[in-house]
Amino acid sequence: MTARSSARPARPSQRTKHIATGLLVLVVAWAVLTVDVKIENLPALPGALARIFTRMFLDPSPEWSYFGEAFGSMMESVQIAWLGTIIGAILSLPLAFFGAKNITSRLVSNIVRQVLNAIRAIPEILVAVVVFIPMVGLGAFPGMLAIGVHSVGTLGKLSAEVIEGINPGPVEAARAAGGRPLQIQRWGVLPQVLPEVVAFWLYRFEINIRASAILGAVGAGGVGEALVQSLIYRRYDRAGMLIIVIIVVTILIDTASGWLRRRIIQGGGGAKPTAAALEDQAHLSMAMAGGDVGGGAGSDS
Amino acid sequence: MTAATAPRSARPSRPPRSIVGPLGFLVFLAITWWASSEEFGLGVDVPRLIANLTRGADILAEFWPPDFSVVPRTIGPMLETIQIAVIASLIGCALALPIAFLASRVTSPNVATYLIDRGVLSVVRALPDVLYALIFVAALSIGPLPGILALILFNIAVVAKLLSETVDGVDPGPLEAARASGANRLLTVRWAVLPQVLPNYVAYSLYAFELNIRASAVLGIVGAGGIGNLINEYRRFFQYDNLLMVVIEILLLVIIVEWISIWLRRKLV
Repeated sequence: MTARSSARPARPSQRTKHIATGLLVLVVAWAVLTVDVKIENLPALPGALARIFTRMFLDPSPEWSYFGEAFGSMMESVQIAWLGTIIGAILSLPLAFFGAKNITSRLVSNIVRQVLNAIRAIPEILVAVVVFIPMVGLGAFPGMLAIGVHSVGTLGKLSAEVIEGINPGPVEAARAAGGRPLQIQRWGVLPQVLPEVVAFWLYRFEINIRASAILGAVGAGGVGEALVQSLIYRRYDRAGMLIIVIIVVTILIDTASGWLRRRIIQGGGGAKPTAAALEDQAHLSMAMAGGDVGGGAGSDS
Repeated sequence: MTAATAPRSARPSRPPRSIVGPLGFLVFLAITWWASSEEFGLGVDVPRLIANLTRGADILAEFWPPDFSVVPRTIGPMLETIQIAVIASLIGCALALPIAFLASRVTSPNVATYLIDRGVLSVVRALPDVLYALIFVAALSIGPLPGILALILFNIAVVAKLLSETVDGVDPGPLEAARASGANRLLTVRWAVLPQVLPNYVAYSLYAFELNIRASAVLGIVGAGGIGNLINEYRRFFQYDNLLMVVIEILLLVIIVEWISIWLRRKLV
């Protein structure tokens, strides 16, 4: 990506590049010119944002006596995310084996990958609204199940990629020693991929905390529900408290989980820079797999 | 056994058992118990949950077949979803560029700027897009504008984070060359760093756009414009066949945008 050679080669044809750029400009122009946002309202925008910010954090100050309840509802979101991630991890691990070219055939792995891609394409909030809220009603369970199902898409894809990158030696050894197919996977493949796969599970847990905070907005439990209620009843002091709790808890868990992921991939001790590089790599591949780095409905996955 | 993995007759000695593994597993069990217990957590009752799921399957049957007659009604909101994603990607990715440079050790003018920028980014990252949308809807009332604002923040968080990590890893050679020839900080960034990270920047921006399409499809559920408004309406009135149609359309939109994005990434990068 950043490799530069000293001698400048002949410039390749730029035609498709120009066409692509032109199309991009057209789409942007269409979007900007026809969107239903009134330009004359825009000058009032900073004022409106400043007003709500003030009412949330400054005047009156966040309702500190509400902290206990706010923290409790955030913990519910964390629990939803944790259990959802476990569901996703349990479902995705076998699928990842079927989705790896070197374990099954090219045909089977392609089909499994396409299914995983389709799962990834539907945001968890939609899975909750369309599948699990109608099935099990409102509350924490539809949120947990939606997060679990949605996580299968990214986790399955990433784990399959890890499995494709294994060293074939232990598999051959297990086969030569007379291992049955399941034993070969258990002793030849699983130990090699487990650290990275567990690191992905943890990463997914971080993302799912954000997802479960969102799911409350559609009645699927957790801190989102509390935030919607406080905004509906214009209790901005409570909304401010909730936002502070969400941000602090999310950052704390991100930090702890990030440290743990580094430890797992690094295996304890070892050189720091290597671990950092691995971390970046995992982060990027997760991001590009739709692992969403920012967190959110669109995010990820 | 192949020759590459040198065969050894004697079994190597077992490494000493580490306590970290079992301890980690215990912590895992403890958290899982905490999250699923009746007193502290969600009170997960697996048999009942499975019973609910099997009973709920009948409700899912009501979704079929999708109602194609709603398609004309969905076109306007679908277009608005695309508009929100396009505008938010454009503004968000543009703002992310300078923010990313300030958030990298390589290009940030001083440690204070670097730390403050990093801190603000991780705070912005901690709130998910739909919660931003909720807050902006409360401040500005419903419509596409709160959705656009929410996604701009989301894009800044994603693109600036990824890009600042890329900037951290640039080849220092051109930087030294630019500095040696007397370039100031801005010129160094422009001519020594930007050309190196530009392909990544384009790739991240396209990636952010893909995420934005998915996000803006659901932001309407909280009133922030686009197709999500219709989702909300249909689910309130239990019009499941219409709902299924909308979901199919969103799926198609997401897949088509992904194809275009992959094609563009290949052409532009």
